[in-house]
Amino acid sequence: MLMRQDDQAFSYLYDNYSPALFGIINQIVSDRDIASDVLQDVFINIWRKINSYDGAKGRLFTWMLNIARNAAIDKIRSRPYQDSLKNQPLTENVNSTAANSISNPQVNDVGLKKVINKLKEDYRVLIDMSYFQGFTHEEISKILNLPLGTVKTRIRSALMQLRTMIS
Amino acid sequence: MNIQEYISSGIIESYVLGLASPEERAEFEQMCAQYPELVEARNNFELALEEQARKSASSPPPHIKQNVLAAIGKKDSLATPKIITMEPTTRRSSSWSWVAAASIILFLIAGYFAFTFYNRSKELKNSNQDLQARVNRNDSVLNRLVEEQKVMSDPKVTVVNLAALKQSNNAPSASVYWDSTSSNVYLLIKNMPQLASDKQYQLWSIIDSAGKLQPTSLGLFDGGNEKIMLKMDKAQKADAFAITIENRGNTGGPNLEQLQAMGKPKL
Repeated sequence: MLMRQDDQAFSYLYDNYSPALFGIINQIVSDRDIASDVLQDVFINIWRKINSYDGAKGRLFTWMLNIARNAAIDKIRSRPYQDSLKNQPLTENVNSTAANSISNPQVNDVGLKKVINKLKEDYRVLIDMSYFQGFTHEEISKILNLPLGTVKTRIRSALMQLRTMIS
Repeated sequence: MNIQEYISSGIIESYVLGLASPEERAEFEQMCAQYPELVEARNNFELALEEQARKSASSPPPHIKQNVLAAIGKKDSLATPKIITMEPTTRRSSSWSWVAAASIILFLIAGYFAFTFYNRSKELKNSNQDLQARVNRNDSVLNRLVEEQKVMSDPKVTVVNLAALKQSNNAPSASVYWDSTSSNVYLLIKNMPQLASDKQYQLWSIIDSAGKLQPTSLGLFDGGNEKIMLKMDKAQKADAFAITIENRGNTGGPNLEQLQAMGKPKL
């Protein structure tokens, strides 16, 4: 039904998934108006790319969630967003941005973040940076001054804990 | 690595949350194709994640849906009942365009037939005129033949053969049919050689009045070898008929030096 891209399918898709996706986007982009813009772009993208969704690789929600997360991270990393926060461009000041997020984590006490908050501090920071801020393992290694191997192992361990917590 | 270790390695979460590297993703997808238990574990985590996300769901502003619908070129058929009436409108417009297309086709067909019929009627009119002209010609020929036949078969008509004075292959030859009762004179041309355009033949009646010949013109005619009968002027009395060559439209007397043929009625 979704593949036919008819009006009713779209309405169903939007009505059924937009609140959950908006919740995730809001956890990454805290400004509600900007998060709304992101959601709008996300659904336009979902609809245009719906034919590339492959059910063998995962559930539809997972596919949409990743589109939403990537769009939200692109937004917070974009120059206009950075400028609006009156921050220096990311490339010049990766450390201070990361330091802010560590000392003053942008973790709301809702949803996935609520779960993440229950992780021990080392893990929480890693998941927040990688999942909610989109830093690569290499960037995290640099920012936190940790060996890359350690970052990878800890993130895997954090994810394992996360899984037992939400399952 | 056995599959249970792989499942417990954190790769599932890494993959589902989009944190795995491209190499890890490729490997994971390959493993999924081989191990159904891996797919099951992945599916369980996905379901848990979705459930978690629904718990933290937050309704977006209503206008976002309208914006998205506008951007992807759709109308919100559930939120605005008006849109349901849009569908028939769309269909109507498509049926109107069908009607428009059909009417253009009909117009072209009608135009084609109009053009064809116009040409056909023009052809018919022309050929009708041709036929009429041929009928008129045939009528006049027939009338003439009937007239000739009446003259020739009339017992009161005297036939006078006009013989050439000089014998040759192309000798002039004609006959006068003279109705002594009505005085009508008909000339049947058998062969009168073509003349220069300023010359004409002239038929004369000649009366012998005590040795003095009195010629009277019975009319001028052109040469030819068609066997046609000409109605000439009346002659009440004639001792002989003669044909001379004269200037076209001659009004004077006969030029007897140019006498071509002559004959006397057998009384």
